[in-house]
Amino acid sequence: MKTKEKEVNPQELSDWVIDQTLKAGADNCKVSLSKRRLVEINYREHKPEVIKEATTKNLYLEVFINNRYAGQSTPDYRQSTLSDFIKGVVESAKIMEEDPYRTLPDPEYYEGRTTEDLQLNDPSYSALTPDERHQMVKSVEDSCLEKGGDKVISVEAGEYDSTYEELVKTSNGFEGSSQSTIYQIGASMTAQDEGDRRPEGYNYVSCRYKEDLPPLDEVGTVAAERTLDLLGGKKIATTKIPVILENRGASRVLNGLLNPLSGGSIQQKRSFLADKKGEAVGSKLLTLTDDPFIPRGLGSKTYDGDGFPARKRDLFAEGVVNEFIVDWYYSRKLGWEPTSGSISNIIIPPGKRSLEEIIKDLGRCMLITGYIGGNSNSTTGDFSVGIIGKLYENGQFVQNVAEMNIADNHLNFWKKLVEVANDPYKYSQAIFPSLVIDDVMVAGI
Amino acid sequence: MKPIPRRKFIQSSALAGGALLFLPTLKACSSSGGQLAGNYFLNEFGIDENLCRKLLAEALSKGGDFADLYFEYTVSNYLGLEDGKVNQSYGDISLGVGIRTVKGDQIGYGFTQDLIEESMISAASTAATISDMSATSVDSSLSKLQTGDYYPVAPDFNGIPGESKLPLLQKVNEKCFDLSAEIVKVNAGFSSAVKRILIVTSDGVLAEDIIPRGYLYASVVAERNGKREQSSWNLGGARDFSFYTDEVVDEITSKSVNNALKLFDAIQPPAGEMPVVLGPGVTGVLLHEAIGHGMEADFNRKKTSTYSTMIGKKVAEPFVNIIDDGTNMNLAGSINVDDEGTPGKKTVLVENGILTSYLHDKISAKHYGVEPTGNGRRQDFQNYPIPRMRNTFMTGGDATPEDIIKEAGNGIYVEDVSNGQVKIGEGDFAFYVSQGRMIENGKLTAPIKDVNIMGNGPKMLANITMAADDLVMYRGGAGQCGKNGQGVPVSFGMPTSLVKSLTVGGTQQKGGRS
Repeated sequence: MKTKEKEVNPQELSDWVIDQTLKAGADNCKVSLSKRRLVEINYREHKPEVIKEATTKNLYLEVFINNRYAGQSTPDYRQSTLSDFIKGVVESAKIMEEDPYRTLPDPEYYEGRTTEDLQLNDPSYSALTPDERHQMVKSVEDSCLEKGGDKVISVEAGEYDSTYEELVKTSNGFEGSSQSTIYQIGASMTAQDEGDRRPEGYNYVSCRYKEDLPPLDEVGTVAAERTLDLLGGKKIATTKIPVILENRGASRVLNGLLNPLSGGSIQQKRSFLADKKGEAVGSKLLTLTDDPFIPRGLGSKTYDGDGFPARKRDLFAEGVVNEFIVDWYYSRKLGWEPTSGSISNIIIPPGKRSLEEIIKDLGRCMLITGYIGGNSNSTTGDFSVGIIGKLYENGQFVQNVAEMNIADNHLNFWKKLVEVANDPYKYSQAIFPSLVIDDVMVAGI
Repeated sequence: MKPIPRRKFIQSSALAGGALLFLPTLKACSSSGGQLAGNYFLNEFGIDENLCRKLLAEALSKGGDFADLYFEYTVSNYLGLEDGKVNQSYGDISLGVGIRTVKGDQIGYGFTQDLIEESMISAASTAATISDMSATSVDSSLSKLQTGDYYPVAPDFNGIPGESKLPLLQKVNEKCFDLSAEIVKVNAGFSSAVKRILIVTSDGVLAEDIIPRGYLYASVVAERNGKREQSSWNLGGARDFSFYTDEVVDEITSKSVNNALKLFDAIQPPAGEMPVVLGPGVTGVLLHEAIGHGMEADFNRKKTSTYSTMIGKKVAEPFVNIIDDGTNMNLAGSINVDDEGTPGKKTVLVENGILTSYLHDKISAKHYGVEPTGNGRRQDFQNYPIPRMRNTFMTGGDATPEDIIKEAGNGIYVEDVSNGQVKIGEGDFAFYVSQGRMIENGKLTAPIKDVNIMGNGPKMLANITMAADDLVMYRGGAGQCGKNGQGVPVSFGMPTSLVKSLTVGGTQQKGGRS
């Protein structure tokens, strides 16, 4: 389709903005330009339910004046409006209170970025036609409907793809740019269960390259299978048993362990891990690697939010807190060296046995396949979250479970990580295998 | 498409990243002619009726039932205080038009950030691709929609300037530290936005609105004997600066400080089914999850909601009345007009225990042959409207809070809720209790915290056995409801009520605590 947008030259625009910002009185500044083109198609009952297509752009300007700081974004690139915008951001910064830690990083920290091609931009993206997109969604819908059979109440299948470009420049010498593509496709299905229960299950996958998507009929089939797996879900009596966090959803619980690693949480006394560096907080199986260099990785990147070169690191190594997630600003507040304040792809190394083999040996156990609500307290480590899953006994499936809950403290929970399966989930930024945790309070009746 | 089709409410007060700044760089609305919002897009961007008709004609050039245009200009800004200094300032401008073509239940949608004719025509032709028939005609006259005025602002209202936020944030900081020597960290923030919208539909409706939004929050960390606890509170809604008085600062600071200190005595809550008493106010999140989402008519016309066959049926005791209301003064979910040109209304979901009405947008209203209820809402011009809640509450009953706690016997009492989520089809929901108390032998005892509560919507409704006459509407402004990747502001209300049985996700075995 024809979105005729007057092409701006990002290099010229960013240079002009930096120049104007300094002229308006800023000591330093950083400008980020981004542009995204997106297409979204959803199908229900064999016809398009939604067709959406657009391009968005954004300019984000951060200014530093005498240790005062402001950041503001605008989609309006008209030069007359931008001049006023720049003056507005500078004025915003001037009224702020002084904060000696608020500066651009020393330029030496920008050095050492990889020149490796991380393959984040699918060269075949522009060849994808509207017709192909419709065909892709139809395959997913058809296979989901077929597998769902007479249990189907409703199936929605959808495809989303976008291409994204950014250019980041600072007045003290950083320049970074990236281009990436993403494809997401999948379906959700609602099935008829007993009474008024209509369980909804889904399967959506994301990839940087179209050729890396799994077979589309498999995507739809899995969506139907995951829905049928919810039928008859009921709660059981409250009990303490081993649970398995299924690979694709495990980050819902693990995020509670990542947030308190941030420099901001630590400096603001909101981290239960602040004094735990070098200490074991989990079992030997808890190794968590932040790896920005995975080719085609959903979280891969060459520089971070401060402009520091991306770096591979272990956040937890064999249960021990190994590295905090510290950006430039909080590193200065804490008086530490910065380590990079953002994460990329997060990996837990897989184990040797399959999920099935593990379940055989666990006695009575629960495989957790979904979550509802819940939260985690970064100051204390307490968490509690609703779960959906399947109950097994000595490898035999007993029943589907719903409307239950697990709760614990992270400092206790991860010490009970007793096995890791061999099934890393690859369609995510969190590449986790299924995780087996012993002796967890599962609340039900 | 959002990869994970879940709906949830998140109270985003704690250290919200986000949103920015200072005032519009576009010309301020300088007219003194008492125009509330009228003709804003005409004056600032030259959007006139002829252009609108042209865009609508393009959107319907391949047929369709109707089309609409949604122009938006929103300026948001956030000022944050950390370590005693107002040292964070962020701002954002959202500007553009979203163009929708509707054919039955099918939607074509295009949007652009450039309010120039060529870009807008292009967005309209994207929307038109949903249909492949001959053109539908556009109503030749546009008439201005009459609406209520549930968040009046001065004619020259142009947002809350950063300068006026600084002293308030400093006051919050000082008060928190003054209230207790055990407070070791205070974060405070003031988020605000002014949103201007113009909606023009192919059936001849023209509606323009200006919506002030914002909230002031405090988030504190307290330390006692090497142990730390945190708590936060916010107040706000669809309000201008006059709301943020010393009394508001007092309420925010005393709630957050006192709640944090209470947690030092908190015990691990029990696990399993037990009676749950909801304190008045924000606990209305329970209604939002347990019934509100399930009553959004898109889920029902697709038969994916557990409530899709229950209209006209008894779902609760006769004293239970549940309402979704866009017409409360100044609450976060109040709307003069929804985002597809239907005036804000009050919709009764449950009347005397009987399920009465879904929450409709225009598509579902047509499907069911009823009037739209004014629930067609969207996050911004980049998204098409879908049925969403506004302010959802239950009216009071005739019990007293004391009787209700006594009747509960042994269970828990919920004071503050931070977030919740529901699975529409099963009706299973959860809400996260950040503050509460044990109920033992009919009396409130030790504080509890950080516990998720699970239930099933229809079962929960049937289990509401008592309510007091003390309905409180939650006046927080940070509450966001998420659905299909779109966030919209909402509020809640609840009287003290007893739910006979819910699953409490604690860590201790029921029956006796150490």
